Amino acid sequence: MASHALTLDDRAYAEQRDIRLLGFLFFLISDSIFFGSLIFAYLYLRNAAPVWPPPGIERPDVYLAAVNSIVLFGSGVTMHVAMEGMRRDRRGQFVGFIVATIVLGTLFVSGQIYEYWHILPVTKWAATTFGASFYTLTGMHGFHVSVGVIFLITVLIQTLRGTYTKDRHFGLTAATLYWHFVDIIWVALFFLFYVY
Amino acid sequence: MATIELAHPASHIHPAPEGFVRKYIFSLDHKVIAVQYFITSGLFFVLAGLLAELIRVQLMQPNNTVLDPATFNEAFSVHGSAMVWLVVIPILTGGFGNLIMPLQIGARDVAFPWLNMLSFWLFPPAGILLFGSFLLGAPQAGWTEYPPISVLASPGTSMWCAAIFLIGVSSTITGLNFLVTIIKMRAPGMTWTRMPLFVWASAVTAFLNFIATANLSISLAVLFIQRTFHVPFYDETRGGSPVLWQHMFWFYSHPAVYIMILPAFGIVSEIIPTMVRRPIFGYKAIAYSSVAIALVSFMVWAHHMFTSGLAQWIQLPFMIMTMIVAIPTGVKVFSWVASLWGGRIRFTSPLLFVLGFLSTFTFGGITGVMLASVPADVHEHGTYFIVAHLHYVLFGGSMFGVFAGLYYWWPKMTGRMLDERLGKIHFWLMFVAFNCTFLPMHWLGLLGMPRRVATYDPIYWHTNLFVSISAFVLGASMLLFAYNAIHSARYGKRAGPNPWGARTLEWMIPSPPPYYNFKELPVVLSGPYDYGKPLPYRDVDPDMIEAAAMPAY
Repeated sequence: MASHALTLDDRAYAEQRDIRLLGFLFFLISDSIFFGSLIFAYLYLRNAAPVWPPPGIERPDVYLAAVNSIVLFGSGVTMHVAMEGMRRDRRGQFVGFIVATIVLGTLFVSGQIYEYWHILPVTKWAATTFGASFYTLTGMHGFHVSVGVIFLITVLIQTLRGTYTKDRHFGLTAATLYWHFVDIIWVALFFLFYVY
Repeated sequence: MATIELAHPASHIHPAPEGFVRKYIFSLDHKVIAVQYFITSGLFFVLAGLLAELIRVQLMQPNNTVLDPATFNEAFSVHGSAMVWLVVIPILTGGFGNLIMPLQIGARDVAFPWLNMLSFWLFPPAGILLFGSFLLGAPQAGWTEYPPISVLASPGTSMWCAAIFLIGVSSTITGLNFLVTIIKMRAPGMTWTRMPLFVWASAVTAFLNFIATANLSISLAVLFIQRTFHVPFYDETRGGSPVLWQHMFWFYSHPAVYIMILPAFGIVSEIIPTMVRRPIFGYKAIAYSSVAIALVSFMVWAHHMFTSGLAQWIQLPFMIMTMIVAIPTGVKVFSWVASLWGGRIRFTSPLLFVLGFLSTFTFGGITGVMLASVPADVHEHGTYFIVAHLHYVLFGGSMFGVFAGLYYWWPKMTGRMLDERLGKIHFWLMFVAFNCTFLPMHWLGLLGMPRRVATYDPIYWHTNLFVSISAFVLGASMLLFAYNAIHSARYGKRAGPNPWGARTLEWMIPSPPPYYNFKELPVVLSGPYDYGKPLPYRDVDPDMIEAAAMPAY
């Protein structure tokens, strides 16, 4: 694909990029419907329950989640800085910060897995609507973050191979959009499960 | 590789695919993928149709024992699921959408050919999973799979979830792909209001597909999670709610109703002006009413749930919104009738199917408004009236549209005409048998015969017997089409580029089209339905334009 993309003139490249960008935005919209439906289900069950959280269930500890959130939002910042580096053709800045993003994303997923297995009573929780929606929603989000990490590793390898240039880096743009999207979803989930 | 001069993203002609596998199996060409969709959903249509006949065999006698009750449940559940997800949606979007939409906008392919191939290849595994679920005990709660039955039922229900999930992902991808194609890849000069009406319908369907279907996928995932890990989402005894499933399911499935009918509207809007030789009446009204239907469709889902214990203040707005759907739909129907009015109507087989569509669909639409009214719905809910209504809109609407489209675009797809005489016999047989099958179901329903039961009170016997016999004739009428299709491959008259004398872009190129569709990208100068004026295209092959101006028909 790389060699093909390089043979396109600027205008054709811009048109190809716009087509892909629109497709990717549509994908993000349908993905947010995905989360939106699950959040609807959560709010519906919450609204139907006489007491919330259900009896015998305690809200998860907000501190671990807060640290984890800072890790994830931090990765959004490093991602942004990495992209700025690419736009200004500073390869070192790009590679350094995208590696940082990958590390932070991995940390977030690890933190979440730790919370799942060591902090929360899994079996007790899975028997309630609170736990069911918690595990499904945060699990779906964690899956998205993991996919995002793989996505970032892929674009990093592609960059090192010289696929992307200062002006032509749609793959990176897509990865950035996806990463910020996952961040925004987490804001909603953090608020719903740990604060509200 | 030298730099290629590109004026337009679609103007790049790819090298021709080589080898059998690249050409016919894992093809990236939208026309080949369309044929793959037609063949695959045609097969599923036969299987699901046979299940329907099996259901009717069981219902020939009041206390028949051909099927035991559990098998009967499995038969109608798989029949419904297959007809909706493996036949109507793929044939309209994947089949006609793929075959016609890129040609009509003057593009060389869809925006993401690779994704197009992927969405096709998610489809056969889904069908195999769905029909394979019989091995583990197929789902038994109908195509809607309401909990608690769907939670408690046999392992086949999990296969059902997986199957419909795959279909859901497939249609989400197709929707995204088509909408990008229509927005970004129209030929130079083709503004939104110069697009053929089928493209308008495809665009709105694509929008519904990638918005609503994501929601279906997640509902199925949740049902799957509940069944696998025994978490209590839909379990009333542990704080869950079966009504939650109904909300999530219908929030998708009501827009899905329009996913299943809008492309048929598009097909009808293409055939009428061609066959009556005059501009379509109310181009913008037809185009924008599709958008209106799509927007309203997201606000009507709870009308399926009037007997599920919703509060009255919720029921009223849903009833009103549902009735409002009749307005844009009525705009379309009246526009089509007005287009026929005073035209030089050629009663070809596509047009006959369109007229069949108009009458049966309008009938189904009217019973839809009846069902929207809460007091009537409480009486009719869960009876054969519903079965009659949904078959009038899905079979009488969508499937008549499908056959109209098949007769109309068959020459474009294969290069050969279908036999007109056989087509007309097919139409009349199908039309009469269809009405004999489903019209009496309204009466059965109003008398109180419940749907989804294997045995019934003997007072309903004679009508049911009549319905069953008509259903066999209806099934048999499909053989005529099968014969016609096979016959045409060998003996069909050569179609030439434009056998109907139509004016949309797909008729300006040879039949079947070459893999690159257009040698030069056409330039569009005005709308496609101005019969009697010169053709509105530049840079199409001049011989073809001449052929289009002089209908061979």
